[in-house]
Amino acid sequence: MSEQMNDQEILTVSNTDENSAIERCLTFESGDLILYISTKHVIEIINNHSITTLPLVPPYIKGIINLRGQILPVVDLQQRMGKEDSDYTSKTCIIVLEIDSISLGIIVDSVRQVVDINLKHVRPIPLKRQQKLLDGMVIMEDGSVFMSVDCQALSSTED
Amino acid sequence: MDNGMESMLDTYLFETNSLLDNLDEMLVKDEKLGDFSPEDVNEIFRIMHTIKGSSAMMEFGSLSSIAHHIEDLFFYIRDKGIDSLSSQHKKELFNLMFRSEDCLRGQVEKVENGEPLDTDMDSFASEINDFLKKISSEFGDGSADKKGSKDAAPAKDKGAPADAPAAEKLPIAEHLPADSNAVCFLHVFLEEGIGMENLRAYMIINALKECELDFRYYPENMESNPDTCATIIEDGFYMAFESEEMAAKAETNLCTQNHIRSYQRVSLSDLTQDSAPADPASSGPADSSPDEQAPVQQAEAPKKPQPQAPPKQPPVQNAPVKQNLISVNLTKLDSLMNIVGEIVITESMVTSSPELGQLSRDAYDNFMKSARQLRKLTDDLQDIAMSLRMVPISGVFQKMNRIVRDMKQKLGKDVRLTLIGEDTEVDKTIVDSIQDPIMHMVRNAMDHGIEETSEERIKAGKSPQGEIILSASHTSSEVVISIADDGMGMNPDKLLAKAKERGILTKPESEYTRKEALGLVMLPGFSTNKTVTEFSGRGVGMDVVKKNVESVGGVVSLTSEEGRGTTFLMKIPLTLAIMDGMKVTVGSSIFTIAIANIRQSFKILSDEIIRDENGSEMVERLGSFYPILRLHEFYGIPTEITRLEDGILMWVEASDRSFCLFVDDLIGEQQVVVKPLPAFLHSFELKNSGISGCTILGDGNISIILDILSLHAAAMESV
Repeated sequence: MSEQMNDQEILTVSNTDENSAIERCLTFESGDLILYISTKHVIEIINNHSITTLPLVPPYIKGIINLRGQILPVVDLQQRMGKEDSDYTSKTCIIVLEIDSISLGIIVDSVRQVVDINLKHVRPIPLKRQQKLLDGMVIMEDGSVFMSVDCQALSSTED
Repeated sequence: MDNGMESMLDTYLFETNSLLDNLDEMLVKDEKLGDFSPEDVNEIFRIMHTIKGSSAMMEFGSLSSIAHHIEDLFFYIRDKGIDSLSSQHKKELFNLMFRSEDCLRGQVEKVENGEPLDTDMDSFASEINDFLKKISSEFGDGSADKKGSKDAAPAKDKGAPADAPAAEKLPIAEHLPADSNAVCFLHVFLEEGIGMENLRAYMIINALKECELDFRYYPENMESNPDTCATIIEDGFYMAFESEEMAAKAETNLCTQNHIRSYQRVSLSDLTQDSAPADPASSGPADSSPDEQAPVQQAEAPKKPQPQAPPKQPPVQNAPVKQNLISVNLTKLDSLMNIVGEIVITESMVTSSPELGQLSRDAYDNFMKSARQLRKLTDDLQDIAMSLRMVPISGVFQKMNRIVRDMKQKLGKDVRLTLIGEDTEVDKTIVDSIQDPIMHMVRNAMDHGIEETSEERIKAGKSPQGEIILSASHTSSEVVISIADDGMGMNPDKLLAKAKERGILTKPESEYTRKEALGLVMLPGFSTNKTVTEFSGRGVGMDVVKKNVESVGGVVSLTSEEGRGTTFLMKIPLTLAIMDGMKVTVGSSIFTIAIANIRQSFKILSDEIIRDENGSEMVERLGSFYPILRLHEFYGIPTEITRLEDGILMWVEASDRSFCLFVDDLIGEQQVVVKPLPAFLHSFELKNSGISGCTILGDGNISIILDILSLHAAAMESV
């Protein structure tokens, strides 16, 4: 339901204004998925940070980090999506996001690049799912499929 | 709204609120004495005058109109002397003033909240006028008409035909105002093109009045009537003095004021000599001369378009005169605090850096010398930054005066409030968060604590007047605030019965100690009063107080003796932002415990451990038994140290709860800056599991700050 709504919203936006349909997005890999998130939410990408674990929180919350004096919570995206966590490698990094004035970092396997995505081509995911962390998919010219991360779902901790 | 306007509004609100606070304090004090002192009448007049002026400038019509009416009233009182009022009238006057104050405050609050102001102030204004009429008619003074004697000042000039003829004859004094009492005028011209001439003139007048000069000014209504702008541009404005001396004094002061192009002293004695014989029968009584001025205004107003200069930041009135104070936005102080905290941490990070070991011995010594100097400076900086946030608690205490006064009237109880240690300084955040609790406890004491009638008190062998003592004092690390009444006190048995009725007892009645029974009043859903009154008894009571105080890290306790009274004691840490902490490790995590909570840390042997039937562990210390909380088990942290004899026990205490924490090891003591956990994590309610925040350690790692009180609640009381 919510996906359809989102889709409609996107369509109305693109109907009224051609330019707004293009959005710059950061693409990254998590597990075997290629995901993207709008660059307006991305603050920076960091790696090699020591994470302080917190007790009594769900396992997908890896803990908090000290980013130049600011305390930032860190979420493992893969675990957030309900999968087993994979080993962290040298490519693993933290994308620092700010969504509606809530700051958080997400751990992803690797970061790819920034691409322009035409929101008109984004389709809802045609499956009934428990997890609602992704809210759209788009096929690129080279045939690869990118999926959109739902920022609102990410920034709220209610499941 | 642009920035300039906003900061002007800030200034206005700050100023008006502090004036109202002043007024409140004065009224409460005077009411106790049952009389206004002449100084206070002057002061109230001045306050109203300032509020009227600044409100008119900000275009808050309702505020300025109420203030204007009170100003009229007090002008009359000042004129006639306060002693001319009967005690009945004085009483009425006090009530009227308190209500006016509330009314003004209500309007100011609306301004603060950005709500539209009430436009209809007529009913209240007419009430003030009626009162003025009443006292003036009884005094039998005809000259004080209902418009107030302020306007009547020129009317007193009857039969003194001095000024009007002069105005016709001498070009200098073309529009010299009618004022027979004045012997000397200062005629002031403002610089050209400065905008808002009427208000600037008014500022200058205010500034002079601040210097305890007594004079009148013309055009009279310049602060509220923008039409006077044109007149002032054209003809300047006048100040009328009753003595040459005063005028000379004003003249010297005038030199320090801004925006004055020129001024001229016009001595009336010269004028009358010249003019009186010249045209003795001219326009007759001088009461026509105010009218004479009015046409001038009217005639000139259409000619000149109203200067629409944007309101500019006015010079801050009367601030530098008495105190060297500036007002600073609290958020700026907060960020200053934060930065100072970071500097302190960074400093220790630098001085304990392992790279220093590679320096040669001499270089290292030199380095340490400078480092010590730096440490001293940062300590000083920290002290000053902390002291910036400290404000005296008197503001909160003074408000209680008013509450006691209002309740006294409503409840018909005779109670006096004694304040002790008003100048105790407390962190601003704490002051804000304890105001409501204190208010609540004072109300409780008034409503439930003090006996209903003075007969009851006399029967109990006490003085008929009840007393509530509000006191504040410092200990090394905390503020102690006590609210004591000498009323009925509480009966533990009654409290128990009541609690049983409410079903909030957690163990058999007989097992409650006296202290625990008294503590029942602080449980949610407990209210000893049968009926809901306006002031208390809504069932949200002491539990809210307790929660509020605990939210700033404080504790509430009470002692009560039946027939003797009740005392509530609040202990609150001096500041929240920085604390002395003890760092401990559990597994790979570092926790910080406030030093204030730690009683002892010790190692134990395995045969010292006592177990109950569930296998829960306890330990004996100084004759009492304390439960042991294994932090690694409670938080599920993997660690190698699981045997009690391998780790360390920390005996901690908060409020009335005391227990032992089992941790791996002690690292050491450090001052830490408390940072809240990120908003993202709020939904996990870590605060209820003993984690109150975190802090960044010298090496950049994060340590979790433990809250002993909520840790105890989560770990020990949930079972």
